[in-house]
Amino acid sequence: MARPVIEAPPTTPAGTWLEGEELARRAAARTRRKRLALLVAGWAAMLGIWQVAAYYLPFGTLPNPLEVSVEMWEIVASGALVSDFLASVLKTFAGFGVAVLIGAPVGYLMGRYGYWRAFFLDGVTVAGTIPALTYAVLSLIIFGLSNLGPVLAVALVSTPYVALNVAEGIRGVDQNLVKMSQAFGRSPQQIRREVFIPTIVPYLFAAVRMSFAVAWKVEALTEVFGGTNGVGFQIRTRYQLFDITGVIAWMALFIVFMLLIERLLLRKLEQRVLAWRPEERAAR
Amino acid sequence: MAVLTVNDLCKTFGAGTARSNRVLDHISFDVRGQTFVSVVGPSGCGKSTLLNIISGVETHTSGDVSVTSDEGRPARLGYVFQDPRLLPWRTVRKNMLYVQDKDDDQARRRVSTYLDMVGLGQHGDFFPGQLSGGMQQRVGIARAFAVEPDLLIMDEPFSHLDAITARGLRAQLQDIWAQSRKTVVFVTHDVVEAVELSDRIIVLQPGGRIFEDIPIDLPRPRRQSDPAVATLQAEVLARLEKMKAITPQAATAV
Repeated sequence: MARPVIEAPPTTPAGTWLEGEELARRAAARTRRKRLALLVAGWAAMLGIWQVAAYYLPFGTLPNPLEVSVEMWEIVASGALVSDFLASVLKTFAGFGVAVLIGAPVGYLMGRYGYWRAFFLDGVTVAGTIPALTYAVLSLIIFGLSNLGPVLAVALVSTPYVALNVAEGIRGVDQNLVKMSQAFGRSPQQIRREVFIPTIVPYLFAAVRMSFAVAWKVEALTEVFGGTNGVGFQIRTRYQLFDITGVIAWMALFIVFMLLIERLLLRKLEQRVLAWRPEERAAR
Repeated sequence: MAVLTVNDLCKTFGAGTARSNRVLDHISFDVRGQTFVSVVGPSGCGKSTLLNIISGVETHTSGDVSVTSDEGRPARLGYVFQDPRLLPWRTVRKNMLYVQDKDDDQARRRVSTYLDMVGLGQHGDFFPGQLSGGMQQRVGIARAFAVEPDLLIMDEPFSHLDAITARGLRAQLQDIWAQSRKTVVFVTHDVVEAVELSDRIIVLQPGGRIFEDIPIDLPRPRRQSDPAVATLQAEVLARLEKMKAITPQAATAV
């Protein structure tokens, strides 16, 4: 992918394949260092603007970064973080589980058979276009004050992503590999395991990462309105107490936590599973 | 004993319709064990269709095709395609094991043996994406030999490679074949290549008939620089010129 500003300069050509791999690794490390520097600069600018805004706004409207970080530390130290985050994360992943269980078979049918595609396509497209907020409200109406609301909201938001991506993945299966497998007498099960599933996996990761960005926001939102625990619930409680510092602290912790899950957990898992792709090897 | 028998084979696409197109017209030949037979002909003469019928991917309209094994079990076929057709998410070794019936010590030994033969013994743990096109095609060749096929089908395996790589691979194929003596049906549009590799050349003409069946009786190993090979190549080409004169459709091809 082209990242013009921080692209590494061209290096001397490699002699052997192993040398090439080594050069690529070194170039990648250089690129990583530059990227880190820019990242730090970006954060510093953001905190600076926040600090200035907190100073000039009327007292009590916006706490400054230090106050928020103290509050964040207190939340972490009190232990509330673990139980409420765990509740939110579990609900998000339960919703994902439902989305994969429903979306993957639907996507498989859509990718494999024209009739099923015709049957599902409009429904899935419409479901993917409905705003996430609508799903949150709908889930609340159905389940009221309960933990099932957020799960349903996440499932509804994520299912279309999963279905469409899996369908795309199945359609992207290299028919030449299927023919090769048949020519060598491989069974349908073997072809499914060795050709179809490995083709879908990158698409499934893309679906999960794409919907994760929306899903955790919907999950928190649903908790704000109708949760009995979790991060959204905590944000609502603080809001009712007019505790802006608490609201922002919880929100910031939530963002940090979800970014960690996305960057560390999902990304690392993807790198591991997709190690055969040249772009994954270069990034390692 | 004949490994491949093709008897009075016909194939018509869209039979009975206005667009009915006969691509194979009463073809009969058989291939004895341990011989290397090339099928050459201009494009559109039915070479690929013939291969697809032999491999069972396509049905035929009438006639018989049979592949026999010498041990009474169902015949095993090996394939080399125009492109390597390797699973990009499996290493070279796993790719070769994928088409083996059993993943046991014997299979592993065979895989190693043929990988060594194509000069890729050190590359078993590489992913296909880490190899050049020529190396990938060598894996494809090793994979096909490693299933120990009764009949090995090769469908223009060098047509997508550059001339120098293709020349190297032809030499390597001759060496492997000399050691393993598998029965091979090799489809190509390149007469020069066919003369270098084969014991016998079956020439198809447009319309799907056998134009000529030419035995190639030259000592092996053959190299393109060898004058005897060059002479025979010229002679076979001259005979194909004759075909162009008889069948005008062929004039644009070959």
